Amino acid sequence: MKLSEFLAELDELARQAVETMEAAGDADALEALRIRFLGAKSGRLKQVQKGLAGIDRTDKPVAGKRFNEVKKQLEAALQKATQRLLNAETIGEPIRQFDPTVPGDRFRFGHLHPLTQTSEELKDIMGRLGFTVADGPEVEDRWHNFEALNIPPEHPARDPLDNFYLATAAAAAGNSPGDSRLLRSQTSTVQIRVMENTRPPVRIISVGRVYRPDTADATHYPMFQQIEGLLVDRQVTMADLKSVLRLFAISFFEDDVHIRFRPSFFPFTEPSVEVDMSWQGGWIEMGGAGMVDPNVLRAVGYDPEEVTGLAFGLGIERICARRHGISDIREFYKNDVRFLHQF
Amino acid sequence: MIVSWNWLKQYVRLDMSLEELERRLTMSGLNHEGTEEISGDLAIDLEVTSNRPDCLGYLGVAREIAVLWGHELKTPPANAAEGRPPVGDLLKVRIDCPELCCRYTARVIRGVKVGPSPRWMARRLETVGLTPINNVVDISNYVLMECGQPLHTFDFAKLKGAEIIVRQPRPGEAIEAIDHKTYDLEPGMCIIADAEDAVAIGGVMGGAVTEISDATTDLLIEAAEFDPVSIRNTARRLNLHSDSSYRFERGVDSEAIDWASRRCCELILELAGGELCEGVLDVGPQPSPREPIVLRLAQLPRVLGIDVPAEEVRKILTDLGVSEIRAGAEKIEVVPPGWRRDLTREIDLVEEVGRIHGYDQIPEDVGVPMVSSTRTREDRVLAKVRHVLTASGFDEAMTLSVVDERLSESFSPWTDAEPLRSLTPVLRGADRLRRSLVPSLLAARRTNEALANPEIELFEIAKVYLPQGEKLPAEELMLGITSGREFSAVKGVVEATVAALNPAIKLEAANDDYNLLDPESSCQLKLDGELFAYVGRLRNDGLKQFDLRMPTTVAEVSLSTLVKAAALVPRHVAQPPYPAMTRDLNLVVDEAVRWADVAATVRANCGQYFESLRYCDTYRDPDRLGPDKKSLLMTIVLRWKEGTMTGEEADRIRDQIVAACRRTHGAELR
Repeated sequence: MKLSEFLAELDELARQAVETMEAAGDADALEALRIRFLGAKSGRLKQVQKGLAGIDRTDKPVAGKRFNEVKKQLEAALQKATQRLLNAETIGEPIRQFDPTVPGDRFRFGHLHPLTQTSEELKDIMGRLGFTVADGPEVEDRWHNFEALNIPPEHPARDPLDNFYLATAAAAAGNSPGDSRLLRSQTSTVQIRVMENTRPPVRIISVGRVYRPDTADATHYPMFQQIEGLLVDRQVTMADLKSVLRLFAISFFEDDVHIRFRPSFFPFTEPSVEVDMSWQGGWIEMGGAGMVDPNVLRAVGYDPEEVTGLAFGLGIERICARRHGISDIREFYKNDVRFLHQF
Repeated sequence: MIVSWNWLKQYVRLDMSLEELERRLTMSGLNHEGTEEISGDLAIDLEVTSNRPDCLGYLGVAREIAVLWGHELKTPPANAAEGRPPVGDLLKVRIDCPELCCRYTARVIRGVKVGPSPRWMARRLETVGLTPINNVVDISNYVLMECGQPLHTFDFAKLKGAEIIVRQPRPGEAIEAIDHKTYDLEPGMCIIADAEDAVAIGGVMGGAVTEISDATTDLLIEAAEFDPVSIRNTARRLNLHSDSSYRFERGVDSEAIDWASRRCCELILELAGGELCEGVLDVGPQPSPREPIVLRLAQLPRVLGIDVPAEEVRKILTDLGVSEIRAGAEKIEVVPPGWRRDLTREIDLVEEVGRIHGYDQIPEDVGVPMVSSTRTREDRVLAKVRHVLTASGFDEAMTLSVVDERLSESFSPWTDAEPLRSLTPVLRGADRLRRSLVPSLLAARRTNEALANPEIELFEIAKVYLPQGEKLPAEELMLGITSGREFSAVKGVVEATVAALNPAIKLEAANDDYNLLDPESSCQLKLDGELFAYVGRLRNDGLKQFDLRMPTTVAEVSLSTLVKAAALVPRHVAQPPYPAMTRDLNLVVDEAVRWADVAATVRANCGQYFESLRYCDTYRDPDRLGPDKKSLLMTIVLRWKEGTMTGEEADRIRDQIVAACRRTHGAELR
């Protein structure tokens, strides 16, 4: 190709490119132009560049210099057009301001029941004190719920009005003393089962549902959850009982807490106490406790001359309700999701 | 037990403040419940535990105070001057039912003047909530309150045949009691009768016929001991409770019966006049002497964790009323007093020393030996299950374990056995131990619908009770779910939960035919051939049955099984460094062909290159595919652990898969 033709082609290319780029209406159109003119494989500039090979050697420096000038000119035109379009996007349209305060996309996660949360925390604290969780049946026989717990046959605690005995056809007809089975009234039944099947030392907590006839109201419900602890070993004393309860209380209230015992009575402990914990200048009732009655130790095959045991029990609903300010424990079993979502 | 301050003063010096009295009684076993001021006196309410019937009388409470403060207990002398004639001349007493009444004592006073009680007595009775009636009746109430022994007075002239017979009721016998209600008497009840009729329900309430009136001049004073169980049953059956029955149920002091009778007579003679016949009719064996108890002093530190000096131990026990037989450096032998039936063993004496010495002396800072404890497998599994469920947007519910007939009958997928039932309903007609969690959760869903809560996604982890004949039921732990989401969404949650605990578990899905669920939107999931879980959408009549408006999907998973099958500690498998190849497949098959079978063929034909197979969709188009056809869309991910796969190798495997599916399932590639 002659030099003049080459230069003419370059000029024409530059004119077309600049004109069309200046007129490009949007980013897509500009991109199409870039590919058309500056495309690496088949752009116009590339094709013209191929023509350089056919120029006389003496003309090549002039041709090459002009080629580079045109290339720069095209690149500048592209840059200018790009900037022009960018500015156009932000000028002449309503100004939008980025608002970081718009809430993020929330997803709905579920909540654990507050009784589970309290119960898990209590298990956790007791676990750190060396107490392993033991589980057992909710439907019990009379041996585990009464006899083994030092509640003999005619004891008032066995009264049908105070327990949920199971019905068989015969019992319902009033013809027999009734089914030997009942819904357990305390989780100490689990402790009996563990002790029957292990030699001392034993250090366990039993957690679960228990059942006692009671009219349902703001502070009572015929089903509730208990956590009961048991430690049987040589040389276990009431000082150990107080100390374990204090360690538990300090952990639970996250504060320095003192323990107070008030004498009481349970058939399965002797001595028996009500346990209070200091709180905000006063005392609050936490549950019952005591030293395991020697009759109970004997019932499970332990020798009260060798071992002694401490035991304590707490009601989970009461602890949970007090902690969260829930005034009606029936909420726990109503399962209104607006309640469940508060915890 | 409500105690009047002014009255109590008669038996022990009250030189302490009210607050101090309340505090120390609480700290030694009589829990203070409250104090009220009534007409210049203080009514102090104390909780008396069932093992301390001796504190159901002023003398018992006063004795506690005397022990705590080291004061003297002032017991009235109970001296009643005797006159003529011998009581045996006027009356005979016979016990026909010694198993219901082991002892009966009777005294007779003649020539009393029945009138109002003196003001001091009336006021004391009013402070503790009793209504003064007349001097004789009031005195019997007064003495009951004083010592805890119930007494009854009869109008002697109204007793027929000069005879008291303690017996069981005759068939059809009834009595009008002093509350002027008539009670039908039943076998097992203890009746006080004269020669003809029942005159009192023994130990519970007297009869109207022999009631003391203004015209009464001659009295029979009864002090007796009745069997606690019989009294309890009688009171319950008749729904008739009294201060008397309350004390007999808990046991009275056999050795103090005569004292109570004499005390009552002493006061009657003083306040109503009359002449006391000589002697007492005392029928039934005298109480046998109490067995001695040995207290080894070493047991005190052994149980209480503190040392109590031997001298103090002896003082405490003696002040409480024991008789000391022997006292040595290492042990003490004592006989407990008649009013403390609860003291029979060494450990009982340890408690007495402890509570009087003071539990505040027991330290709360002894070092308890450390031992390790482990988190149970079940707890670990349940924690994971709860994580998955809450992360999926489900809230944890807790519902009652016992349900009513309607809920119990509605659905029972785990057993055909009839549910266990409680004799009395646990709550409002709920007396069946549930065999599935789903009905309870549907009821909870309904509660939430009624509250117009828009999103109701609930799960519960609890036991169901599967009957095993006469044995204790099998208590299986279940995960129950109710949801407003589609069947496949809930199935996904179940599958995700299982996978979170053990990705290697293979569940087989099968059709089900539960009448509650829509067969086209429900399934059973089996593990090793056993029912493991089910998921399903409620049919329309199922929704109606539970009074639900919005579509509902339910699921129930056997967690007992999952706990066993969980793999809690995954073993690492090195991630291959080489890239994967994916191929999308669109296989057209007959309607009857199941995904699980096609998936098995696909997997089997990938050889060592199989990494994962993802189900995408099932597409139907009767026009393009044909009426009985569907296309299964899936993505297969292939990876070679030893090097980079080529596109050609991936294509080869895809072709292998397609051919195998064509052979085995008649599938065509689209």
